[in-house]
Amino acid sequence: MSVTLTHDGAWRRGMDRLRRIVAACGGPAGCLGAAIVLALLVLAVFATWIAPHDPLRVSLPDQLLEPGGDFPFGTDQSGRDVLSRVIWASRASLAVAGVAVLIGLALGVTLGLSAGFFRGGWAEQAIMRLLDAVAAIPVLIWAIALVGIFGIREIEIGPFTFGNEVKLMLMLGLLYVPTLARITYTSAASESQANYVAARRLQGVPGWRIMLSDVLPNCLSPVIVQATLMLALGIIIEASVSFVGLGVQPPTPSWGNMLADARNYLLSGEWWLSVFPGAAISVTVIGFNLLGDGLRDRLDPRHALPTVAG
Amino acid sequence: MLVLILRRAGFSLFSLLVVSLILFALTRSIPDSPARIVLGDEATEEQIAQFEADHGLDRPVLVQYLAWLERLVLHGDLGRSFTTRLDMNAQVTETLPVTLELVCIGFVVALTISLVLGTLSALWRDSPVDYAARLLAVLGVSIPGFWPALVLVLALTVERDWFPPGGFVPLGEGLAEHLRSIALPCLCLSVFYMAVLTRMTRSSLLEVLGQDYMRTARAAGLSRPRVLLYGLRNALVPVVTIAGVSFGHMFGLALIIERVFNIGGMSRALLTAIQQRDYALVQAVVMMFTIIFVVANLIADLLNAWLNPRLAARAA
Amino acid sequence: MSPRDDLGVSDMAPIPVVGRGAPGKPLLEIEGLHIAFGARDRWFEAVRGVDLRIHAGEVVGVVGESGSGKSLTALAIMRLLPRGARISSGRMRFAGTDLLALDERGMNRLRGSAMGMIFQDPLTALNPALPVGHQIADSIRTHQGLGRAAALARAEALLDLVGIARPRERLRAFPHELSGGMRQRVMTALAVANDPRLLIADEPTTALDVTVQAQVMAMLDRIRRELGIAVLFISHNLELVAEVCDRVAVMYAGRVVEGAVVEALFEAPRHPYTRQLLRCIPRLNDETGPMPTIPGLPPRLGAIPGGCPFAPRCDAAFARCTAEAPDIWRRGDHMARCWEALR
Repeated sequence: MSVTLTHDGAWRRGMDRLRRIVAACGGPAGCLGAAIVLALLVLAVFATWIAPHDPLRVSLPDQLLEPGGDFPFGTDQSGRDVLSRVIWASRASLAVAGVAVLIGLALGVTLGLSAGFFRGGWAEQAIMRLLDAVAAIPVLIWAIALVGIFGIREIEIGPFTFGNEVKLMLMLGLLYVPTLARITYTSAASESQANYVAARRLQGVPGWRIMLSDVLPNCLSPVIVQATLMLALGIIIEASVSFVGLGVQPPTPSWGNMLADARNYLLSGEWWLSVFPGAAISVTVIGFNLLGDGLRDRLDPRHALPTVAG
Repeated sequence: MLVLILRRAGFSLFSLLVVSLILFALTRSIPDSPARIVLGDEATEEQIAQFEADHGLDRPVLVQYLAWLERLVLHGDLGRSFTTRLDMNAQVTETLPVTLELVCIGFVVALTISLVLGTLSALWRDSPVDYAARLLAVLGVSIPGFWPALVLVLALTVERDWFPPGGFVPLGEGLAEHLRSIALPCLCLSVFYMAVLTRMTRSSLLEVLGQDYMRTARAAGLSRPRVLLYGLRNALVPVVTIAGVSFGHMFGLALIIERVFNIGGMSRALLTAIQQRDYALVQAVVMMFTIIFVVANLIADLLNAWLNPRLAARAA
Repeated sequence: MSPRDDLGVSDMAPIPVVGRGAPGKPLLEIEGLHIAFGARDRWFEAVRGVDLRIHAGEVVGVVGESGSGKSLTALAIMRLLPRGARISSGRMRFAGTDLLALDERGMNRLRGSAMGMIFQDPLTALNPALPVGHQIADSIRTHQGLGRAAALARAEALLDLVGIARPRERLRAFPHELSGGMRQRVMTALAVANDPRLLIADEPTTALDVTVQAQVMAMLDRIRRELGIAVLFISHNLELVAEVCDRVAVMYAGRVVEGAVVEALFEAPRHPYTRQLLRCIPRLNDETGPMPTIPGLPPRLGAIPGGCPFAPRCDAAFARCTAEAPDIWRRGDHMARCWEALR
């Protein structure tokens, strides 16, 4: 009897916790998004153990095998396992998108926050005008052009060697800055007018502390939402740029460069080469989009603007 | 109204200047001099210095920029490529119309379908039409345009012979063939933006439908279609903004789609230029795209000022 | 619900208007109106059996706190209930026509022509993207089949009628370019654009400054006299109602709790709720002291207590009030839904 009771209590506590988690993600759709993103992170981090084969191992006898048996997603033109490559490719995609968003956040939030908080400063205003002007950049075109300009070779700076992915991260990150700075600026500017900020000033709290400990937490919601949607955008852009051969370089697998290879086998009918990497991209992006929409419903319901990517 | 137009146009010009300066500085800041690329590794220092002097590359970057800007603005001259010596205006006028046609058709298709679908979805909220539209919107924004392109090529051209698998048939060689060759690329180009615009139309119209003035219009006895037209006018404002941005972004996706379908538009020009390290051409192409992007946004802003004068009054 | 539960009888003298409506028959007759809110299997009644009669040329006030169902009743007459609300039962006849039997087209012929409506907040109730002249002309063209120029000329005359200076210029103004009082005048012009027989005014001055309120009320009163329009005046302000209305209905929790000619209601209120409302009207010559208020809150939708819904807040309530829904007390054209009145 008592066993049943505790079990019942635990079950109810579990349900309560589940309900709270669902609410935190902004409803069932957002929760599904979070689950997809979580699953992808697990795949990317533990790719070494999860992938059944070595994604780089060339095996000519296994060329272009149809899905089935040892290779559930088939093999490619070099006999590499498509499933393992799809799993490993999540690393490159998530890394590029993730680091780019981190760079964009670090710079964009700093600029937007200081420009919004110290409104009087001409320097801040000038920076915001300049960023507004630079926002007139179609991200995908510029990403392609910039990689094109700097070349796809590895760059050596001091003891470090940077692969093409690193360039992509940096450039995407910089391209994200105007949008994130604008969003932070808007809420920081209105937040700085709030009475509690004036009250803190009267208490003699220094400006930079008010900015960091009071204003910043209060304008993070729209930034978090936008950052989530930018992760989705980053995945698409990485795939697109890799697809035209300017992103992640072979043999390192990325969904985009796998699709680029698959293009050569369209007419001969090896459908699995294009279907699985594309599906992986789509599921990932759906995950981030659902999570972003869910977070927006929860954190920032007034700004229901979809983002434009491409 | 005139003040508004001037302000917007002025800011667009400012944007273009800043962006072109950044672009110019970037192409001049790469470690390899164009001279090295053109003349090859065996070239002597004197040859390189000679080349740079001939092309004005030894001058300060700002001076080079102003000269470039002067040619572009006063003569509409994009200049010559350092590597191929080809007139870039000719290359752009050859490839731009193809891309422009794809994007324009794709844009019109996306806009038309999304307006209809978004409106029906908002009017028949929570009906099967609404669910279908919302599902399409989520899937559409999540699938990179070139993947359905690949799958469509597989399904409709390889498996069945409905469309050519790629290539571009100019209009001169027959309308039917021309349309057949661009149908799939345009469709793939439009799906993502169709999804974005459908979502925007739906949410914007839903918001407007709940406004008091819609009830006033009904209380004045206007028929439902008339009331809807009233509402659409207001609901279109954010849709127009996003549509303006989308039009510019579509050129980016068009680069990828052209490659899938093997169409000789700007994509081929840009990617070839990148392969040959022909920075002048890269710069020209990106500048063209940026101009189109800025102009599209400007048109959207002005359209909105006409649609909703209160916005215009607030902005001015 | 018996059809005798109405308020007022027809022997009151309405302001005579030549050629309008059959004599003796009310212009608008509402019987047992129920309005429910909700979705699927959960419905809450927000209006629970309202009876109301308005004769041609008469001004009837409906007073109550927010949530009493007065605005819903007004919207129901125009058949413009918000999403999720519906008329669950009742009868509404307007000039001999059964309003509930009309289809959408039939209703559209009445809306804006025989029945006009003024809303509370003229800023949100006017389309921000269209010049006000355009909005008025649209209604005129819809109902009178006039051309664009003729409709605009008529709109200009209407702006003049509602007391807007330089009407020709104002035709081209957008709502945000006008003051609050001007906007409500425009709203009125729109409502009376096609010679209505009934004007429904839902808190027409609540969103305005006090000084502007008086001007707008004077304008409304002048126009309804000039045009001989019957008015259903919805308000939470008893004072305003006293100034302009012939008869008053007091609503509480979705029902009319007291109805009478305005003098009778003010001099001899029978329902404790009405008495308490009257006590809340501030008077200049009052001794200083705390503003009288009615303790407690109106019941929430879906949680209306049995018996008399006002009983929990009533200072005269006794055992029967919480047990049974009150019968109707009636003297001539004065009615009240109260056990205390019946004692």
